[in-house]
Amino acid sequence: MAAVEIASVTKTFGSVTAVDNLTLTVPDGSVYGFIGPNGSGKTTTMRMIVNIFYPDSGSIRVLGRQMTSARSEHIGYLPEERGLYRNMAVKPLLEFYGELRGGRSVSAEVDRWLERLGLAEWSSHKVQALSKGMTQRVQFIAAVVPEPKLLILDEPFSGLDPVNAEVLRDAILDLRRRGATVILSTHDMRVAETMCDSIFMIFRGRKVLDGTLESIQARYGNDTIRVSAEGGAAVMRGLPGVEDVRDLGQVQELRLSRGCDTQQVLRALVSRTRITSFSVTKPSLHDIFVRIAGAPAAEAASA
Amino acid sequence: MLNLSRRALLIAKRDYLVSVRSKSFLFGLIVFPVLFGGSLLGVAILKAKPDLRDRHVALIDRTGKLADFVVQAAAAKSAKEMFEKTTGVQISPRYIVEPVAPEPGDPNLQRLALSNRVRQGELFAFIDIGASQNAVGRSESVEGGPAKASIACYTNAGAIDKLQAWLSGAVNDAIKTQRLAEAGIDRNRVPAMLAVAPVDNLDLLTRDATTGAIHEPVKRDQLAVFIVPFGAMMLLMMIVMVGCAPMMAAVTEDKSQRIVEMLLGVATPHDLMMGKVLAGVARSLTSSVLYVTVGTVALIALQVSGAAPLSLLPWFYVYLVAEVTMLCALSVGLGAACNSPQEAQNLMLLVLAPIMVPVFLMLPVLDRPNGPLAIALSLFPPFTPMLMVLRQAMPGGVPLWQLWVGLLGVIACSLVGVWAASRIFRVAILMQGQPPRLADIVRWAVKG
Repeated sequence: MAAVEIASVTKTFGSVTAVDNLTLTVPDGSVYGFIGPNGSGKTTTMRMIVNIFYPDSGSIRVLGRQMTSARSEHIGYLPEERGLYRNMAVKPLLEFYGELRGGRSVSAEVDRWLERLGLAEWSSHKVQALSKGMTQRVQFIAAVVPEPKLLILDEPFSGLDPVNAEVLRDAILDLRRRGATVILSTHDMRVAETMCDSIFMIFRGRKVLDGTLESIQARYGNDTIRVSAEGGAAVMRGLPGVEDVRDLGQVQELRLSRGCDTQQVLRALVSRTRITSFSVTKPSLHDIFVRIAGAPAAEAASA
Repeated sequence: MLNLSRRALLIAKRDYLVSVRSKSFLFGLIVFPVLFGGSLLGVAILKAKPDLRDRHVALIDRTGKLADFVVQAAAAKSAKEMFEKTTGVQISPRYIVEPVAPEPGDPNLQRLALSNRVRQGELFAFIDIGASQNAVGRSESVEGGPAKASIACYTNAGAIDKLQAWLSGAVNDAIKTQRLAEAGIDRNRVPAMLAVAPVDNLDLLTRDATTGAIHEPVKRDQLAVFIVPFGAMMLLMMIVMVGCAPMMAAVTEDKSQRIVEMLLGVATPHDLMMGKVLAGVARSLTSSVLYVTVGTVALIALQVSGAAPLSLLPWFYVYLVAEVTMLCALSVGLGAACNSPQEAQNLMLLVLAPIMVPVFLMLPVLDRPNGPLAIALSLFPPFTPMLMVLRQAMPGGVPLWQLWVGLLGVIACSLVGVWAASRIFRVAILMQGQPPRLADIVRWAVKG
């Protein structure tokens, strides 16, 4: 069964088309990554799933039924723009959100989550006394109490340090193991690659990628060489058959033109410098993202 | 449209408990009555402790015939009213009129000199009586004086000072006496002939529905005619303000602190708005318990409880709830359109208009509470609660059909207000950046 079915949905704001004829199916129990540049339509899509925005046309079914406010008791939503009542204490605040969504007392669940995310001793403190990382953890708890069937997280790791990010990542994956469907948006391609079963990329309101990481990479083939060599990126420019050199610091990624022989590239490199590592690979999600979103941006910048 | 879901009630409960526990609510609860009560207390204190300094008034009598009358009248008034008869305590200032001979030449030079004495505090005022004031039925301008005033009182005191009113009467008495003498009429016979016959203001007669007996009409006093209606309207205004005033800024704050989107993930915009409106109504009702109780206790303590008709209370509360619902919905809708408390402040006038405008219209309504203007204004829904309560608290009250028509109008207006505010709220609550324009707000309300 699909947790979310979006069919031919369009949403406009004045003259701007935020989402253009989008069709997307999020399978039950999966972790689905939404990627795309800022302003591409990720948040608008999420807000339509949660019923905050209504589509101008098309339909959205959530958990097998047309989306209504009554369904929201099964949906946890963490918006990108964080905000909590600063003058409320942590536990009463979480109980308020939990009761608002679930319609029942959630005190025990709140205690369990506070304990799990290391916030138990802060339960009676006001939100304004918390650090940014702690506030984000509190907001995450507000989205998952009571435990949702569908969890929608807009940039959940934004601004978190690695330790807090790891805590949150574990919690999300644990919810998925217990049967929840997770939709998360991110600008961190490593998060999308490692956490998500499927990835959906939206660009200028239109779907440009949708599928598993492997299927997306397969569309581009083994057209990438990852090289580490003396002289760095400077000695790799102008190599025959190389369309682009991406300097990652200690490693460089070379994108090859269609039909280019990797052995020829290797020979040309050896003739120029001393190579310490060389591997033929599929393009990373980051590379694919930049190929899609970067070219129009570069065109716009040069125009 | 006004359906209250579980979520709306939960939001209302949270907002209500947070607001009534806040210092600003407790402060506001006390400040309003202190401001109103304080001003009344100030007037009472000033009245209890009048300025008892002597009032020196210079009198230029160009007729040469009136000064003695005025001097004697001042002395008589001081002798009669200066001291409290039983205790002998001074309760009123001494009035001293000093005749000043007119100086030859430009009269303005003498007036300027006397004006300077007034400025220095030597005199309270001076009066210039024109030369022909004793002519029966005629008066002529004082040479060089004001074009239309042949008797002029020059002072820098307040417009409502009692002395000025008394001086006018005393000078006119002197002129009348002089005119009567010139007409050959015995002055001593005139007061009795012109004595005023007092007219009592009474309420209309009513017949007891059960016994059929006609009730004796009650004498109307100033308390019943003015203070009770005025107090009832001010009470309604205070209570409405307590519920509505903080609403717009609170919604704008929720929006600017990004709290709203999290709530919209679990509740509809309508739930969220109705929760806030309900919290405003509950806040007003809470303050009303205090104000109405204190007001009732005060009336009982002052032994004037009969002047305030208790039958007014149910209607008072019905109109209170309708008014607060209407204004809170308007506040929430407009608050959602604003990005900062400063922007909300600019739109506050729109919310306050339905309670401020009736205050400005109070005098013509008090003058003719059942006149066409009063009826029309009190049936205009935004003004109905305030003006209907004002009219109802006056002797005679309001015909029952007007109360019901007014109430239906207010309910209809409240429903439309909630509906429009709900549409504005839904569109605007997640918008950031652009300050609200009235045209946009109207478009959101109409088209959603």
